[in-house]
Amino acid sequence: MPAFLQPSSLSEAWSALKENEDVRFLAGGTDLIVLMRQGAVKCGAVMDVKKIPELSVFGFKDGALEIGGAVTCAQILEAHETEGPYGILKQAAVTLANSLLRNRATLAGNLCNASPGGDMIPASLVLGASVVAASPRGEREIPLKDFFLGVKKHVLARDEIVLRVVFPKIQGGGVYLKKRRIRGHDLAQVGVAGFYDGGLRFALGAVGPTPVLVDFGRIPEAELLERKAEIVETVAAEAKPITDIRASKEYRLAMTRLFAGRILDALSSCSRPLAVEEAAQ
Amino acid sequence: MSEYKYIGKPVKRHDGVEKVTGQASYTGDLKMSGMLYAKMKTSEYAHAKILKVDTSEAEKLPGVRAVIDGRHGFAKLGIYMQDRSVIAMDKVRYHGEVVAAVAADDLETAERAIELIKVEYEPLPIIQDVREAVKPDAPLIHPDLGSYSHTVGVFFPKAGTNVANHMKLRRGNVEEGFAKSDVILENTFTQSQIFHIPLETHVTIVQWGAGDNIKIWCSGQSPFSVRDLFSIAFGVPRNNIEVNILYVGGGFGAKAGIHLEPLVGLLSKAAGGRPVKLVPTREEECSTLPCRQGLFARIKTGCSAEGRILAEEVELLWDAGAYADYGVNIGRASATSGCGPYEIENIKIDSLTVYTNHVFGTAYRGFGHPEVFFAVERQRDLMAAKLGMDPTEFRLKNLLYPGSRTVTGELITENTGRPDKCLKRVAEMIGLHNHYTDAEKAEMKRTGKYRGKAAAVLQKAPAMPTWAASSALVQMNEDGTVRISVSGVDYGQGTYTVLQQIAAERLNLPIEKISINKSVSTPISPYDWQTVASRMTVICGMAVADACDDLKEQILEMAAVVLRASKHEIAFGEGDVYVMQNPQYRVGFNKIAIGYVYENGNAVGGPLIGRGKAIAQGLTNLDPETGQGKAALDWTYGAHAAEIEVDTETGDIEVLQFASCIDVGQVMNEELMRGQIVGGVLQGLGCAKSEYVSHDASGRLLTRNFTDYKIPTFKDMPKKMMVDAVETPQLDGPYGARGCGEHPLISVTSVMANALANAVGVQFFDLPLSADRVYRRIQAGNSGPKLS
Amino acid sequence: MNRQRIRLKVNGQAYDTLCSENATLLTLLREDLGLTGTKEGCGAGECGACTVILNGRPVNSCMVLALECQDSEVRTIEGETVNGGLSDLQKAFIEHNALQCGFCTPGMIMSARALLDKNPSPTREDICEALEGNLCRCTGYEPIIAAVLSAAGGEVNE
Repeated sequence: MPAFLQPSSLSEAWSALKENEDVRFLAGGTDLIVLMRQGAVKCGAVMDVKKIPELSVFGFKDGALEIGGAVTCAQILEAHETEGPYGILKQAAVTLANSLLRNRATLAGNLCNASPGGDMIPASLVLGASVVAASPRGEREIPLKDFFLGVKKHVLARDEIVLRVVFPKIQGGGVYLKKRRIRGHDLAQVGVAGFYDGGLRFALGAVGPTPVLVDFGRIPEAELLERKAEIVETVAAEAKPITDIRASKEYRLAMTRLFAGRILDALSSCSRPLAVEEAAQ
Repeated sequence: MSEYKYIGKPVKRHDGVEKVTGQASYTGDLKMSGMLYAKMKTSEYAHAKILKVDTSEAEKLPGVRAVIDGRHGFAKLGIYMQDRSVIAMDKVRYHGEVVAAVAADDLETAERAIELIKVEYEPLPIIQDVREAVKPDAPLIHPDLGSYSHTVGVFFPKAGTNVANHMKLRRGNVEEGFAKSDVILENTFTQSQIFHIPLETHVTIVQWGAGDNIKIWCSGQSPFSVRDLFSIAFGVPRNNIEVNILYVGGGFGAKAGIHLEPLVGLLSKAAGGRPVKLVPTREEECSTLPCRQGLFARIKTGCSAEGRILAEEVELLWDAGAYADYGVNIGRASATSGCGPYEIENIKIDSLTVYTNHVFGTAYRGFGHPEVFFAVERQRDLMAAKLGMDPTEFRLKNLLYPGSRTVTGELITENTGRPDKCLKRVAEMIGLHNHYTDAEKAEMKRTGKYRGKAAAVLQKAPAMPTWAASSALVQMNEDGTVRISVSGVDYGQGTYTVLQQIAAERLNLPIEKISINKSVSTPISPYDWQTVASRMTVICGMAVADACDDLKEQILEMAAVVLRASKHEIAFGEGDVYVMQNPQYRVGFNKIAIGYVYENGNAVGGPLIGRGKAIAQGLTNLDPETGQGKAALDWTYGAHAAEIEVDTETGDIEVLQFASCIDVGQVMNEELMRGQIVGGVLQGLGCAKSEYVSHDASGRLLTRNFTDYKIPTFKDMPKKMMVDAVETPQLDGPYGARGCGEHPLISVTSVMANALANAVGVQFFDLPLSADRVYRRIQAGNSGPKLS
Repeated sequence: MNRQRIRLKVNGQAYDTLCSENATLLTLLREDLGLTGTKEGCGAGECGACTVILNGRPVNSCMVLALECQDSEVRTIEGETVNGGLSDLQKAFIEHNALQCGFCTPGMIMSARALLDKNPSPTREDICEALEGNLCRCTGYEPIIAAVLSAAGGEVNE
């Protein structure tokens, strides 16, 4: 029977960590509570980190966008901060689960769950996000591309709390496209994010044990469409999908290609990001 | 449209207020003093010998009040085929089968106790494919099949095989029919099992008290069947068993018959008679409780060049899963619709209910018909294509009309219902025969989104024993209002509202003056067989009408005394009776409801109670060799049509418009009927597009919850949904009505697959039509393996 | 079993009670506070039967630990009725036959209520987006959309 801890500061959190063994952090809870109910996670204590003030930041600092560890997908959808180049975060957030769960699910939680198909991951990767985590030993910043180790595995230690996710100052626009089995709430069969800011980056979800970032470096805008076939193939070559209950390997690969192409079309034809509704499919 | 005052009128559902306020009580909302909480230990194997069940550690856990396993749960259950013990005994036959159970002071203790139970298994070879299961050398899932009790003369288990029932249907000479045919087409169709997904799981509370006084509260469709089967399983007299049904959070067939009541009862008994509550989780609902059967169907059809069907041979192999109690009757009943509503002279149908190591099957909305009609109505379109005929024309040429005979030899009359009218209507509703313009076709080519249309017919009769009966009580309250008691269960379909309308019409009383029981309790409620088979409006409706007539007779008798007139001189007003010739002599129902009192205090009469009953008329057992006989109380026919759009880049199918038309005989309540149809169609679209039950190679269930069993959401509705009805009165139905609860779900999958074929030329012989599969099939350029 | 003190407001009423440390808000409401109008359909945030409004936002109460709700405001279906009378939304559900078995109805109404609080004149698309997490196996959703539109005073197209 795990104990319930709810520190209201980091220092309280560190002392609570000392006093309790086997602590799991609870942000939105939409993954952890399911796992606990299934008996897949057993722990000594659950620490609700949402009352720690540092985790509620949501805004710009030195030009970079900071989204605290307790910020929900619903907040991302409602915020002005996540417009313009960061609008791809909205495109991703609106596809995550359903509106009820988005009121709980957090960006940081989605990253930390480290599911290959986590909807916020590809969009965060193409934005060049990094994760700022704190532990009793201090803070560190980890580039998101180095964050994932495998299915549901990441680099954080058991006592590291994600304070915020940091998105560097950026121009340009991005698109996230997700394929699912039904139009309603479903996990991604494939999730593809693309971003163009003079440089071109793609990130893929649900086509390998970890999300994949494909960085093409700088490409002149005029060449985006000319090199479409090659770019799409390069992206597809990074996809290593499997067949499972949600989709076949072949379909995942085909949708990766299709979406990469569609995203490239959108990125090259206009510098604006696609509207959320267009991307939601 | 009619001369009726309440029938066919927009009467609001009786349960609305309680349900929108959260005040409606479901079984899970009940709490009793001393109540214990139960949890099940289920099998990790699809087929294995149970070597040892060690419950000793669980028993030692503080707060645990009862632990039981196969040694306690040996009693056999079954309505048609007693093939399942309450708890698995010597072996498990599916992943998710109950091997032990615990009752404890609280749920957390029960969960911990379950983890302490150790079970040793020896895995056995598993069978997942019905075609493997019927092979002579297949491992036997029920080696003792020959000794199982079953309804003799109706079901025919094959000892020494995995065939729980073999239903045979023979008409004419199928070989001669094929010999005469100009065109012969043979196809096979496969469908997986499907989950019902009632939002409320099979919640059960049982108190097995001293002296075998047993009280059951369950989320069930059939209180008297639970009582009956509980009594048979344990040898406890029916008088000792009380079954209570409150509001029920969805059934769709899943809650017909008996389910967890015996298990929870045994826990209560072992815990010294304390009430025990079991709330299955969603995962348990999927993996332990039964589902809809899978089906492998082979159809061979012979036609004349002019498009007349001359012969049809149908082989149905039902994936019953580990137990086949209901499955044997699904195999039987669906065979009586095995060629659809068509007149075919030469027919051979073999319907085998086959054991496998899957979750076991049970009744599901449509009782086998949605599965059979996927095959039959696909086959009709495929045959029409082969003949070069319009599929609607082909159907109209072969449908049943007055004077035709059904596959079981039953004569169709003027009052049987008209599939042809339904088909023509839906074709009109979606513009089935309006061809796409060149501009539209060019647009499809440009966007890669191709449209297609199709239609299909459907039919079903109540599938039930020949003796399935209902009864009703209509009692008058002191103030002259009336209360109806029945034991059919209204789990939302609107039955009770329709029964109120029938009583209002019969008694000429305003609907507000008629109430109906909100819950059923077997000690006080009148008998009903089961709430299944779309039989409530028809049979329970007739019982209510009969009870109202009985009440009216009693009112007349009382009025004759009070008004000093002969019964034939008395007429009914609204809430009173009067002397026809001299209407100033009248007496209100309130004056005679519980007895009439004269001025001097003398009293006569007494409380007025009308009693009514109805039983299926004229049904026969079917001939064991030919299946001939009277199988149907009433046939409800209908048709669906759809226009879809297929995105060839993704394989996604969007339903642009869907039309449904059913010959309901008489529309009793249009809004409720529409509710049944719109809901049923969407459930069918789920089966068509995203729902399927999947197991891994070792027979473990993969689709265990909503994460991977995807039912339609608000975003998965058809863009446009149209509903209409044909009204060919059923003479022995109440006011001409027939049931239509199951029918909307039938033939939805066939319409979708036919429309898909018409849109992009891809022929599907299996389901679901998921974007993934559709996309790959389009890519493969596959125009259908069997379509030459 | 470890129990902690929890203080919160449900439908405007203050509660001060003890609850198990890993109890969900749903369990607290149903088992400890006796508010059984809120239902459990899956326990995993995928069906919406347990929807309540927590500090102004609709959530799956099965996906919230009770102790997270310290000092919170919760609205449940029991709070939808005003002075014993039905709300416009409740009336519209009955008027449009937007329920059958009724098990999803309390959650459905709470999601719809939260939507209308935020957006008094939602479109059909807004309704589908807001109610997507509430599954109904009976009605086919169409009448629910009609009910919400009509409660919002909008046009109801069949």
